[in-house]
Amino acid sequence: MRKLALLAAGIAALSLGAVASHAQEEVTPPKVNWSFDGPFGTFDRAAAQRGFQVYEEVCSRCHSMNLLHYRDLTGIGYTEEQVKAFASQKQVTDGPNDQGEMFQRPGRPSDKFVAPFPNEQAARAALNGARPPDQSLIIKARPDGPNYVHGILTGYKDPPPAGVKVGEGRYYNEYFPGHQIAMPPPLAGDDVTYADGTKATLDQESRDVVTFLAWAAEPTMEERKYTGAKVLIFLLFMTGLLFGAKRKIWADVH
Amino acid sequence: MADTAQPKPMGAHTSDSASRRDFLTIAAAAVTGVGAAAAIWPFIDSMNAAKDTLAAGAPVDIDISHIQPGQQIVVLWRSRPIFIMNRTEDELKKLQSSEDTSQLRDPDSSVLQQPDYAKNWHRSIKPETLVLVGICTHLGCIPSFMPAPGGDLGPSWPGGYFCPCHGSRYDLAGRVFIGVPAPYNLPVPPYRFVSDTIVRIGENPEGSTFDFNAIEQV
Amino acid sequence: MAAPAQQNKIVRWIDHRLPIFTFMQHELHDYPTPKNLSYWWNFGSLAGIMLVIMIVSGIFLAMQYTPHVDYAFDSVERIMRDVNYGWLMRYIHMNGASFFFIVTYIHIFRGLYYGSYKTPRELLWMLGVVILLLMMATAFMGYVLPWGQMSFWGATVITNLFSAIPVVGQTIVAWLWGGFAVDNPTLNRFYSLHYLLPFVIVAVVGLHLIALHQHGSNNPLGIDKKGPQDSIPFHPYYTVKDMFGLGVFLIIYAIFVFYMPNLLGDPLNYEPANPLQTPPEIVPEWYFLPFYAMLRSVPNILFIPAKLAGVIAMFSSIFILFFLPWIDSSNVRSARFRPIYKWIFWLLVIDCLVLGYVGAHRPEGWYVVIGRIGTFYYFFHFFLMWLIGKVERPLALPTSISAAVTAKGGGRMAPAASRPMEKP
Repeated sequence: MRKLALLAAGIAALSLGAVASHAQEEVTPPKVNWSFDGPFGTFDRAAAQRGFQVYEEVCSRCHSMNLLHYRDLTGIGYTEEQVKAFASQKQVTDGPNDQGEMFQRPGRPSDKFVAPFPNEQAARAALNGARPPDQSLIIKARPDGPNYVHGILTGYKDPPPAGVKVGEGRYYNEYFPGHQIAMPPPLAGDDVTYADGTKATLDQESRDVVTFLAWAAEPTMEERKYTGAKVLIFLLFMTGLLFGAKRKIWADVH
Repeated sequence: MADTAQPKPMGAHTSDSASRRDFLTIAAAAVTGVGAAAAIWPFIDSMNAAKDTLAAGAPVDIDISHIQPGQQIVVLWRSRPIFIMNRTEDELKKLQSSEDTSQLRDPDSSVLQQPDYAKNWHRSIKPETLVLVGICTHLGCIPSFMPAPGGDLGPSWPGGYFCPCHGSRYDLAGRVFIGVPAPYNLPVPPYRFVSDTIVRIGENPEGSTFDFNAIEQV
Repeated sequence: MAAPAQQNKIVRWIDHRLPIFTFMQHELHDYPTPKNLSYWWNFGSLAGIMLVIMIVSGIFLAMQYTPHVDYAFDSVERIMRDVNYGWLMRYIHMNGASFFFIVTYIHIFRGLYYGSYKTPRELLWMLGVVILLLMMATAFMGYVLPWGQMSFWGATVITNLFSAIPVVGQTIVAWLWGGFAVDNPTLNRFYSLHYLLPFVIVAVVGLHLIALHQHGSNNPLGIDKKGPQDSIPFHPYYTVKDMFGLGVFLIIYAIFVFYMPNLLGDPLNYEPANPLQTPPEIVPEWYFLPFYAMLRSVPNILFIPAKLAGVIAMFSSIFILFFLPWIDSSNVRSARFRPIYKWIFWLLVIDCLVLGYVGAHRPEGWYVVIGRIGTFYYFFHFFLMWLIGKVERPLALPTSISAAVTAKGGGRMAPAASRPMEKP
């Protein structure tokens, strides 16, 4: 009986594993230690700011970030002044004015991040039919998101491995399912000059932008983990007391 | 029916362990209660203004350069209508005359309905630019802009605001007339001049700490 | 009457006109409960608490959610980012669905093991099956609301199932959709019904509890109470035990909500719904996986096309539960005294887990084979229950609950095949 129960538990664990990793594995990307991993993980502010710089100067040419507002940037350590200054450099569509026309005006902290293209069709027209996905949630929208994105950014191989034919308008990528990705390698190293002087190797830029994207996908993560610690400590204490009370009350029945 | 629902051995406890049991039970119940109460807070707080709502309530900059003398524009700040009017010399003169002020309930703006820098005869920073919250202090309708004297409102109408809902009247500084339902002058929001032509609604000038939530009646 | 006279004047005034205090005293305080209930009996109250948690979190989420295809996804993200504690309410609700099903499934399997569905608790059991069906409908519609890729395509697949019904199938599907495909009308009506059904569940849970209190709880020995020595008052014994069990449960629940909130979900649902792009794999949430496996396992049977046969199998797998009290022919309730049935029970558990595993994968190769065996075995299990009841020789039952509890295994009666179950 015990063996059967254990067997059942084993299958349950296996099933959980199956459920937790739906993707049909092609090649799993290498695992990196991220600052935000684990129950005590946080977003490394310096890395997130560098990653924001990479996003700003490289990725935002094609990728929108529709769920972030400029005011959110205080979450990675920028001051209100910096945010105001940064937002005012952007041109935001507003309107209609009294003539009924839409017009451009400098951005405010309350505005959403300006997208590179007004809609999906414009993006496809400009990029040979490819649609760059919005980056606001990309880390959560892919299994093992941070390692996956890092793998993509660092996984281009030119020339592709022997025997692999790469389609027109595609590039060989080690970790992209099917290995043929429509995005040309966005980073090669030294694509930006970091404000804090860190050397901008490909690996560094990729890690930094993943940290930024991880924050963008869930800015409240640190609050979540911190609240969780408080809640769990309280629950452990409360359950301990309740266990004691239960034992006391049941003493005469046992 | 003597239901033996009561556990028999209760009296079998020594008084010592009985009091320990009570203490433990009470402690457990109290801690659980505190936990339950604390768990309610996030739900209640979620009904408070969210971050984007607060951000949308940030100050707005308005270009007043194209408002003609005697004209008014209406803009939105924190979902409320804001009247910005360009007052003429004649209108300003009338505001100071006793013929006007004798009809007013609160000519000196003694009730807190405006920031300190608008507590003057013109209820504004610069006399020619009037900034008001366009919500009648009676029951919240938006008063109509009727700057021309006389007309439909009778020969003694000096020009100002007329609320169509219940007939409240205000002069061209937003001060309420005696004998109308509205009790207070129209509120003046926090504002300042960023430049000669740009007014920022929602922000006090340097040195002022006026809190809009402290006024008597919006 | 056991309740001490209500001393408080206000309490007496109210109670004289609306006997709520007498009611609570009788049903929640004095209520005689078997003294030998194990922790497997905690899961009913846990399910009730999860229902409350889901309703409360759902109501507060509903204050911020927009049920329109153009705004739904973004409104959920607004909750996650801008609403105070919005992320907490969302994760509570999202993981709460999983935990609601976990405690309910354990509660059901407890009933299967200890024969809680047997006379006189047949209606209690059937009401429970109704609750399960309502939960499944509620969870299905709720998952559509965030309008992610899995929301949309899961809705498409499952609503399309109804087209398998001969003659009227396609009409029914178009009626469900409110259009030519899953679109805004579908989302809106799912929102309305998702808000409604939990309150229907509350009502059925009320009936479930009334039925329960009629004859009281079953117990691990499966034998009826012989007298007051077999039971203890619900308060303080089971109130404190339920609270302790709740504490343990909340710890596990909190670990998921705060540290692994997306483990049980599908990453693809963080992508906005795209009607023009089907995901490589359409997978429902884990609590539907065994049924999904059955749906896809069944091949063409005679003149019935595979699609219809799969739908029939899937719904039958739940409807057959209604008849369980009459399928199981054994006179003995608890599997503790049923040596053969014990094995069969665990085989069923394993079968459900295997089906769940199969349901998570594409129906190719070995998965198809195992899925078919698993589906067949599920229904075969009920035949086995009928058969085993007839041929099994149960172990000797104890004379009474208190005898078993105090003597710790003593006080057994000799004859095994006698009728140990008292008829009311």
